[in-house]
Amino acid sequence: MPIVAERKAFSAGLDELNENMATLAELAKLSIRKAVATLETRPEAIASDGRDVFALDQEIYALKQQVVKGCVDLIALHAPVAKDLRLITTSLEISTDLDRIGRYSRDIVEISNLLGEEARSPTAANVDLVRLGNLAIDIVDRALTAFAARDAEAVADIVRRDDPIDDLHDKVFREIIERMTDHSISPRAGAEFVLINRYFERLADHAVNIGLHVTYMVTGVRPRVKAEGAKGPFGDPS
Amino acid sequence: MDATKMAAVGLSASYGRGPAITDINLEFGPNSATAIIGPSGCGKSTFIRCLNRMHETAPRATVTGKVFLDGEDIYEQDPTAVRRRIGMVFQRPNPFATMTIFDNVAAALRFNGRHSREETDKIVYESLQAAALWEEVKDHLFAGATSLSGGQQQRLCIARALAAQPEVLLMDEPCSALDPISTAKVEDLIFTLKRTYTVIIVTHNMQQAARVADRTAFFYLGKLIEVNDTKEIFERPKEKLTEGYVSGRFG
Ligand SMILES: Nc1ncnc2c1ncn2[C@@H]1O[C@H](COP(=O)(O)OP(=O)(O)O)[C@@H](O)[C@H]1O
Ligand SMILES: [Mg+2]
Repeated sequence: MPIVAERKAFSAGLDELNENMATLAELAKLSIRKAVATLETRPEAIASDGRDVFALDQEIYALKQQVVKGCVDLIALHAPVAKDLRLITTSLEISTDLDRIGRYSRDIVEISNLLGEEARSPTAANVDLVRLGNLAIDIVDRALTAFAARDAEAVADIVRRDDPIDDLHDKVFREIIERMTDHSISPRAGAEFVLINRYFERLADHAVNIGLHVTYMVTGVRPRVKAEGAKGPFGDPS
Repeated sequence: MDATKMAAVGLSASYGRGPAITDINLEFGPNSATAIIGPSGCGKSTFIRCLNRMHETAPRATVTGKVFLDGEDIYEQDPTAVRRRIGMVFQRPNPFATMTIFDNVAAALRFNGRHSREETDKIVYESLQAAALWEEVKDHLFAGATSLSGGQQQRLCIARALAAQPEVLLMDEPCSALDPISTAKVEDLIFTLKRTYTVIIVTHNMQQAARVADRTAFFYLGKLIEVNDTKEIFERPKEKLTEGYVSGRFG
């Protein structure tokens, strides 16, 4: 039988990393939900949900910094290899995706605040943004569930779900242009809708990234899902 | 791995009782370094001592299987000739204590036929250069070898091994008695040497294997468990035993 080494300090560091990542994932999920809510229940709920999203974004950023520091310490002190190393590098990458999710949620709320002065919500203006937002929530949830469950297989489903999101993004974009053209929304509102539309599409790209990172973390192999140069997960969403 | 310089085929060895290594099949490419890793007592030293026919000099030692060098079984050749082609550097630097620095290196040539004074000077110079020791000793070549630091003594032993103009260099934990700076120098040296030689290095230092070796072989309880490109062994080992060992969870 092998002589088992405990490596207590290292294990404790990995446990802390896992806990921080789980918290980070919960915060990111919450922030995107609340951000989408500000589009639907305007203007009353915007104030409280909006404040929450701003606070969440700061919290996510701070926790992400802590994760990065923890990972650097683990690498410097314990020279991790194999699946430990993959967990640590993957956590670094996913923490960046989660940070971006928090940031996009905040950007969406900033726009909702501005639109508070506009009479019409996207739904009222017949623009399918909220549906896109809900798809973004769903795909991010799935990616984070895959991460929590260390599910290397989930990525195929996540990638498959990204395509209708890209299609809806294109459809919503056309709708916004139409509403602007027929003056049912102001150019200002139209421009802001275009931004939110893009943010949702990018949020889904981050979900795909997370799914790909999870597969590498579990199997050690980086999946190739889309061809080089294709729009989507291999681009550089930022 | 493209070509093979050396290969162990079905190699087993013992010290008279149970087997120390069992049925090892392992190939070594030219101009590359292979690290042998594994917990103490797993047979690393026994294995590399079979590669230059040193193992059979131990009492009651047995060896079965074949070791090919350039396609020919070294166990069908003269052992002294084999050891000339396959040099060895040990864990503790073992220079000849009563000899000068120069003579330590020149001593290797005596087993290699006759050399003129000029030839000897040239080979000693080249060997000390290749061992990255020349600059440090050129002004006191005739001082005693024991006046050198541990790290310098180890490089002197490497120079001595190189002077015999071997094709393969075996190193058994060559840095384990050295401080970090000397270790870094010897590692740099290994990095250079592998361009010219086939280097096989036993190390218990995982990071050292990661730093110097192109390929890494993991031994456990006298068996070869896994061999692959070093990056694969440290990033995504295939065997659970390898994973446990390289991540420091047992050994
Ligand atoms: N000279 C010896 N006589 C008897 N047994 C030995 C001798 N040298 C090593 N062994 C045994 O052979 C096995 C392999 O040892 P070794 O090759 O030295 O392992 P490693 O170099 O991996 O630490 C161990 O069980 C060890 O006890
Ligand atoms: Mg040994």
